Amino acid sequence: MPTGSVSWAAKVAAVVRKELVSEFRTRYAINAIVMFALVTLTVVSFAVGLLSPSSEMMAALFWIILFFAAMSGLAQTFIKEEESGTALVLKLSSDGSVIFFGKLLFNLLLLIVLAVLIVPLFIIFLKIIPANWAVFLTGLVLGIVGLAGATTIVAAIVSKATVKGALFTVLSFPVLLPLLVAVIEITTVGFSGGGFGEISAPLQLLVAYDVVMTTLSVMLFDFVWRL
Amino acid sequence: MWWKIAILLVMSAVIVLAFVTASPMNPTITLGPVDVYRIFYFHVPTAWVASVAFLVAMFQAIQYLRTRDMSRDVRAAAANRLGLVFAILAVITGSIFARMTWGEFWNWSEIREVSIFILLLIYGAYFALRSALPDPETRATLSAVLTIIFAAAALFLIFVLPRVYPAFSQHPSDTIVDSEGQITMGSMVIVIFATSLVVFTALFFWIYRLTVRIGLVEQKRSLE
Amino acid sequence: MSMIELEVTQLTKRFGRRRVFGDVSFALKPGQSLAVTGPNGSGKSTLLRLLTGLSLPTAGKVIYTEDGKTLGFEHYRRKVAMVAPYLALYGALTAGENLHFLARVDGRKVSDTDIEAVLHKVGLDGRGGDYVGAYSSGMQQRLKYAAAMLREPEVLLVDEPSANLDDTGKKAVFDIIAAYRKQAIVVIATNEKEEYSLADGICQLGG
Repeated sequence: MPTGSVSWAAKVAAVVRKELVSEFRTRYAINAIVMFALVTLTVVSFAVGLLSPSSEMMAALFWIILFFAAMSGLAQTFIKEEESGTALVLKLSSDGSVIFFGKLLFNLLLLIVLAVLIVPLFIIFLKIIPANWAVFLTGLVLGIVGLAGATTIVAAIVSKATVKGALFTVLSFPVLLPLLVAVIEITTVGFSGGGFGEISAPLQLLVAYDVVMTTLSVMLFDFVWRL
Repeated sequence: MWWKIAILLVMSAVIVLAFVTASPMNPTITLGPVDVYRIFYFHVPTAWVASVAFLVAMFQAIQYLRTRDMSRDVRAAAANRLGLVFAILAVITGSIFARMTWGEFWNWSEIREVSIFILLLIYGAYFALRSALPDPETRATLSAVLTIIFAAAALFLIFVLPRVYPAFSQHPSDTIVDSEGQITMGSMVIVIFATSLVVFTALFFWIYRLTVRIGLVEQKRSLE
Repeated sequence: MSMIELEVTQLTKRFGRRRVFGDVSFALKPGQSLAVTGPNGSGKSTLLRLLTGLSLPTAGKVIYTEDGKTLGFEHYRRKVAMVAPYLALYGALTAGENLHFLARVDGRKVSDTDIEAVLHKVGLDGRGGDYVGAYSSGMQQRLKYAAAMLREPEVLLVDEPSANLDDTGKKAVFDIIAAYRKQAIVVIATNEKEEYSLADGICQLGG
């Protein structure tokens, strides 16, 4: 009955499209992420008020907003599968690597939407413009790639737990800490206007982190997915 | 049996010698009271053991995923439980030292203090996950995977961060080597310190063996 | 033609101190079927889940072989389909989108005609464009059979075959199970006496 076959990339694309279509219809994750980001941004803006914090402080605040907003939504894609009962069907219908990359790309898209929304608002509300856009954007891109790459498998782990609550944040934080330290360093330089020469160490760390954590997650994902 | 007696004797000797010999720190370069530095004989070994425990847990986690032998999960959990205890001890002894020399219990810009605190968070997260997984096989698999992920992250923290931010560290690293890399400790200090490291490690493996035996008995009983 | 075989040896599952079931053994070949029965909590669903390979037993083994060779999960999962009340399709997608997605993610392309054909067999003609979230529970149960059929399974696992179904629905799914009984391995978990006849043998759990 079934005719023809499709490539690995097409299978991954099918997962991403399924996620996007259901997300577009239910706005399950994006609502949580965007609202969380807006609330945190507002709180931060009120707290900062008329102060003029340093670039370091601004960079830290920026990533705190991004981190918590990401934590509020990135686990949803796996939790929803487990809670609605679709996980079992999906596990019989696909290879782990296809699901891993599908979910990873979807989470990355969510983070891109989040960043596109948060960066201009942060600039407007907190009256700070990155002095070196190239450095700032490099940090932003590598940061969200690492955020998605390292937490996708954590989200899959958390989806099996009976009490999910804050577990995703609790498990993700130690994993993401090296990334946060490095990316805040880069963003600081982005705000203050230094060149790439100043960020070579955290940049190397960040690239290594993204590669290692994503590769390790792929290798371990089948153990998690097959439960 | 003999090695248990040996641990008792050597541990007692280390404790006595740590207090009766000269302070490990030369009075001319100390920040605070010289006697405070005696904590070095206990603080560093507890932090060391906390890291050893984590390595043992990682090894057992990998073995579990390879063999699916549930006793590996018992071993990994036992190592992590002890790691948690020793990490708490390291944080407490470190804070006491920090209060006496730098005037504050905690300093967030101190990279090694932050590292041990993260190790504490890792252990906490590990047990938070375990308590949320009722099925033993699922619990064993997922906590093993998490341990490996944490190990990778910890590797970045422990080895990469102090190199990326060398200015952060206020640790008295010149207790052991000076800025030229020469050993500054007296030979007596080295002997006591090395013995302390060894005996703390031996103590860890003793308690570890006991914890594993209890765990295996409990596991067997639940299967009867 | 290659033949898949299922062998279950001394399968035991425990949750903590609680033993769900112990030492269950059986072997099935294509054309053979088994009804698993037992009171609530005797582990029927747990056993079925172990048969998918998506849960680890405390002891014992579930082995699928083909021509004498043991199949790894990534090979036998393509041949296994499952229908159960606690398993669901995507509510935010239409029935047709669900079936297209599940085939495509498995590397297979199905045509709209294929989909209409399986929907017809479960009595859901013309409902392929409706959202699954708006389906009644009986219609969802029928759709799960359609999804299972589209996989052309060599092993069909069914938990509570007639859950949520009306009389016509029951007749449709009994016909489907009867058809697979001839050519595939079928394991059903049920407490309905009338459904015992859907299988050749009975495996009694607990009690």
